[in-house]
Amino acid sequence: MSAIITLSLLAILVLYLGLFKARRALLPVSLLGLVATVVLYGVQWGKTAEPLYSGMVLFDHFAVVFSVVCVILTILVLLLSKDYFDKSSPHVAEYYALLLFSLTGAVLVVSFHNLAMLFIGIEIMSVALYILAGIRKKDFASNEAALKYFLMGAYSTGFLLFGIALLYGASGSFDLAAIKEYVVSNPQGISPLFYAGILLLIVSLAFKLGAAPFHFWTPDVYDGSPILITIFMATVVKTAAIAGFLRLFYFCFIPLQDFWVPVLLVMTIITLFVGNLTAIVQQSVKRMLAYSSISHAGYLLFAIVAIGATSANSVLFYVTAYSLSTIIGFGSLILVKRATGSEHFEAFNGLAKKNPYLSLAIAIAMLSLAGIPLTAGFVGKFMMFSGVLADYQVLLVVLAVINAAMGIFYYFRVIVAMYFKPLDRDAIVVSGPYRVVFFLAALITLLLGVYPAWLTGLI
Amino acid sequence: METIVQNIQGVPLNHYILFCSIIFTIGVMGVLIRRNVIIIMMSVELMLNSVNLLLTAFSVHHGDAAGQVFVFFIMALAAAEVAVGLAIIVMVYRNTRSVDINALNRLRG
Amino acid sequence: MIDLIWLIPLLPLVGFLLNGLGRNVLSKPLVGLLGSGVVLASFLLSCGVFAEVYTARQAGEPAVFIQSVFEWIAAGSLEVSLSFLVDPLSAIMLLIVTGIGFLIHVYSIGYMKHDAGFAKFFAFLNLFVFFMLVLVLGSNYAVMFIGWEGVGLCSYLLIGFWFKNKEFASAGKKAFVMNRIGDLSFLIAVFLIFNTFGTLEFTGVFPQAAGMAMGDTTLLLVTLLLFVAATGKSAQIPLFTWLPDAMAGPTPVSALIHAATMVTAGIYMIARSNILFTLSPVTLQIVAAIGICTALLAAAIAITQNDIKKVLAYSTVSQLGYMFLGLGVGAFTGAFFHVITHAFFKALLFLGAGSVIHAMGDEQDMRHMGGLKKHLPITYVTMLVATIAIAGIPPLSGFFSKDEILAHAFSANKLLWVLGFVGALFTAFYMFRLLSLTFFGKFRGTTEQADHLHESPASMTVPLIILAVLSAVGGLLNVPSALGGGQALANFLSPVFADSAAVTGPFHLDHSTEYVLMAVSAVGAIVMAVVAYRQYAVKGTVPKADDAPRGVLAKLSYHKFYVDELYDTLVVRPLNALSVFFYRIVDRAGIDGLVNGLGKRVGESAQGIRLLQNGNVGSYIFMMVIAAVLILAFGVFNG
Repeated sequence: MSAIITLSLLAILVLYLGLFKARRALLPVSLLGLVATVVLYGVQWGKTAEPLYSGMVLFDHFAVVFSVVCVILTILVLLLSKDYFDKSSPHVAEYYALLLFSLTGAVLVVSFHNLAMLFIGIEIMSVALYILAGIRKKDFASNEAALKYFLMGAYSTGFLLFGIALLYGASGSFDLAAIKEYVVSNPQGISPLFYAGILLLIVSLAFKLGAAPFHFWTPDVYDGSPILITIFMATVVKTAAIAGFLRLFYFCFIPLQDFWVPVLLVMTIITLFVGNLTAIVQQSVKRMLAYSSISHAGYLLFAIVAIGATSANSVLFYVTAYSLSTIIGFGSLILVKRATGSEHFEAFNGLAKKNPYLSLAIAIAMLSLAGIPLTAGFVGKFMMFSGVLADYQVLLVVLAVINAAMGIFYYFRVIVAMYFKPLDRDAIVVSGPYRVVFFLAALITLLLGVYPAWLTGLI
Repeated sequence: METIVQNIQGVPLNHYILFCSIIFTIGVMGVLIRRNVIIIMMSVELMLNSVNLLLTAFSVHHGDAAGQVFVFFIMALAAAEVAVGLAIIVMVYRNTRSVDINALNRLRG
Repeated sequence: MIDLIWLIPLLPLVGFLLNGLGRNVLSKPLVGLLGSGVVLASFLLSCGVFAEVYTARQAGEPAVFIQSVFEWIAAGSLEVSLSFLVDPLSAIMLLIVTGIGFLIHVYSIGYMKHDAGFAKFFAFLNLFVFFMLVLVLGSNYAVMFIGWEGVGLCSYLLIGFWFKNKEFASAGKKAFVMNRIGDLSFLIAVFLIFNTFGTLEFTGVFPQAAGMAMGDTTLLLVTLLLFVAATGKSAQIPLFTWLPDAMAGPTPVSALIHAATMVTAGIYMIARSNILFTLSPVTLQIVAAIGICTALLAAAIAITQNDIKKVLAYSTVSQLGYMFLGLGVGAFTGAFFHVITHAFFKALLFLGAGSVIHAMGDEQDMRHMGGLKKHLPITYVTMLVATIAIAGIPPLSGFFSKDEILAHAFSANKLLWVLGFVGALFTAFYMFRLLSLTFFGKFRGTTEQADHLHESPASMTVPLIILAVLSAVGGLLNVPSALGGGQALANFLSPVFADSAAVTGPFHLDHSTEYVLMAVSAVGAIVMAVVAYRQYAVKGTVPKADDAPRGVLAKLSYHKFYVDELYDTLVVRPLNALSVFFYRIVDRAGIDGLVNGLGKRVGESAQGIRLLQNGNVGSYIFMMVIAAVLILAFGVFNG
């Protein structure tokens, strides 16, 4: 709990720093606060978790681990934002503060124990992002992304609330334990309202996750937003969305899985195909990564289709692997776009000659996203697939493996451009923080690929 | 006064559910068919308010105050959302001189 | 020594890291020394390991050693450990990979001397050896899959190594695509195996499988998937067209990856899983059919190819077909024996071709060669040895291994033997055609090239000589009992194939029948060799340019010896026609067309989905509502 308070206070502090024009202090203070949060979580680790504040939040291992992942990802994003926003806006403090607010929302989403907290968390996370998506006020694409995100986000909130209201109507409580009690004690007499509520929650959570057929906002918003915000959305928000999704369904709805698993199964397959097929024909790396994030949402849904005790571990591993690679992918795009002004595949041509280490990091990220062995992405996919297989969804695995193969085509386009397309170009200057982030992300990706054990036993 | 309260309490829960669903659907349809961003936002508000009504009805039905507390949360957050939304609309209007959602389709494909 | 198994793959990895990271710092000799040194060290360790396995086998033990490095993935019931398995099969593969790998590394020092990407090349080559060793040593299907994917990746990188030319890069892509189809199938098979047996360890899967009924459906599915995987990696119908295109890479790469090691991974994998295949007779029949078809098709295509490396590439495809034929008829030892001998003589042929190409100043077209015998004596002699070996002329190695496969084929199905025999005739023909066009007759290149002709440096010729010796005497490894041999290899490998042998019973063929078969195939090969030699060396026929109509060929052989015309009408012309037919219709139009068509379909459907993403919030919301309504409707019907 102290972590959530720290985060909120940190965000407010950062706002005040902006007011007093202490621009240089913004980044160090934010990073310090985030590190302190991680430490606070670390202290909490291992203690028996009790629902806090009349059962509003529960900091069990699941919540702690996913919160720490979100915080660490935010640290990486903040490191990349050094000198990114200084150039575009004089009001940098708002940017840092909004990111921290959004992170607070994400942390609530992964640790809720009451549907009210789920709602509040999602709203805090999203409202801050509506602004961030449009933070480049003069940029049409940024404007459009913000408006689209806002309209569709607000709309999906309506579904979320209606779903919550129906669950409340049927079970008489917002508390997860009470809802679970209701499901377990009435195996035959579950109200139809409850079923409708589950479906509406699936709709709204799938929207936040970016799963088809509620994915339509994803490519446009990811494409239009400033790349750094896209990174945040594609990593932290996605992590929070899938963790919240899993938490709710694992806690409450397992006894009813015969009812909702078919729905998710169909959605998962559609998501995989939409994401992968469309990514193949993209010309812009940014849009390709946006579609690839849709397909990864599909792989993440595997854990919920095959819901069980190992789901949390699989999601944790997958989301870590995916997020690290995504940070490298989009982060390098920032540099390439700054150097060439283009986001197309051609902008990467011949990069390996001049920036061998940067190219290596990008190649590792792409291999991991594609799920090639000895990278974290492979282990993640392996865990997901075998989890589903244990549930005898053989067809899903076959389709998924076909999709994984499709994915390789577009990820390799980046590698081909970097290594096999000759072009005389100037070396890109990679600043210190970028080096640190890329190095860490690539290193962890490889380490997790070779020795995944230290992440798989956490939850 | 007594009779009004009694009459209201006499309305079955199903009627509330049906009524709220209808309002919610009107909101959904409003978002679907209107092109003016302001009106779309109003339709979203309609959806949220139907939920508020539904929660209140359930709250009374269960004799549990939590539902009504939740309504306040929704009101507060809806207000925040609307504030941000209007700001975004103003920003977009400054750049495009339009509040028509179909004018925004540069990002696609 | 056995405790040091983990070092065998680790050393090349270290070499990769050193060469990769220090490629701008290290000098070329140092890079070469480092690159080949680590592989040599691995080879020495492998020798030690092999010696222990051998001793254990002499003592009558099954000689299976497992070394677990660490628990790799552990989630729920899924436990995969990163562990290595050494048994007679992997011990031999170790020797081949590190031994031939070392020779090719040494050869590359000379061959790549003038290349700007020298260090990068060695780094990739080391990385390849690492992954190949992981593939060979893996004690379960997951570790094997790591190696399987890794070698594919390295092959891709190495084919695209000279990426200035656009065709090279696209060849790399094709190799990758075709390999992906195979890998996909492998992965599904892995999951299916896990689902069926609850483990991926070889030592856990095979005993369980041995207890299953013959023709089990799950086994059928698993083996078919594994076989599709093998067709991708080992270039069989329908996934073979990438291998000839992959010749765009540097020649040492072709020798190491596309002849000696990686392409035999499919055979290794099937030999490893032999019990699964033995219990699934349908799959075995398919394996044999695909194998013999590939062997014939590729051999026929090789007859009219003019690019020296393309001939060798199709020849490799064809020889791999023989190995699959061997697996299909249950001659696991024979197939593996052919893997060994083929590794010797095909690596030698590629390296020899590389030496020729090197001398000719990067000329690969045989029509511009000729008469190189006196300029490149060592290359000529070694390639002659290899040619005789591959043509199956006794007593060189190819004769013994091919003969064993054909003997098994004969006892399984006479038709398979006849087809295999025809393929062997083709093989002798195109190989002697290659030899004659390259080394005999008059030199047909430019005067510049003529001045440039020289024998390659020692770093290139020494590996050639070593390989030539191995190609010559390799057959002694497994002399059939009909010839009074001890079948050393078969005895050595027997524990690996014990389960299968228990199912199929001992193989037996009359010694007299075997003598006849041997004599027929040996005589046939010699006759074809003579025909090709007369046609291309004595008569000096030079193949026409690619676009010239082939009918002109008849005029070319106008009033020569009567015998020549007979040969020409009976053998050469039909062969040429057949070859052109296969090349144009099956290879280029059929299979490539299919693959391209598939890509097109994917692209079209993607364009269709893109239309939905039209940028309008209104239509997005509309589709969301439709989806939500559908989901709710589902709820109504379901609940």
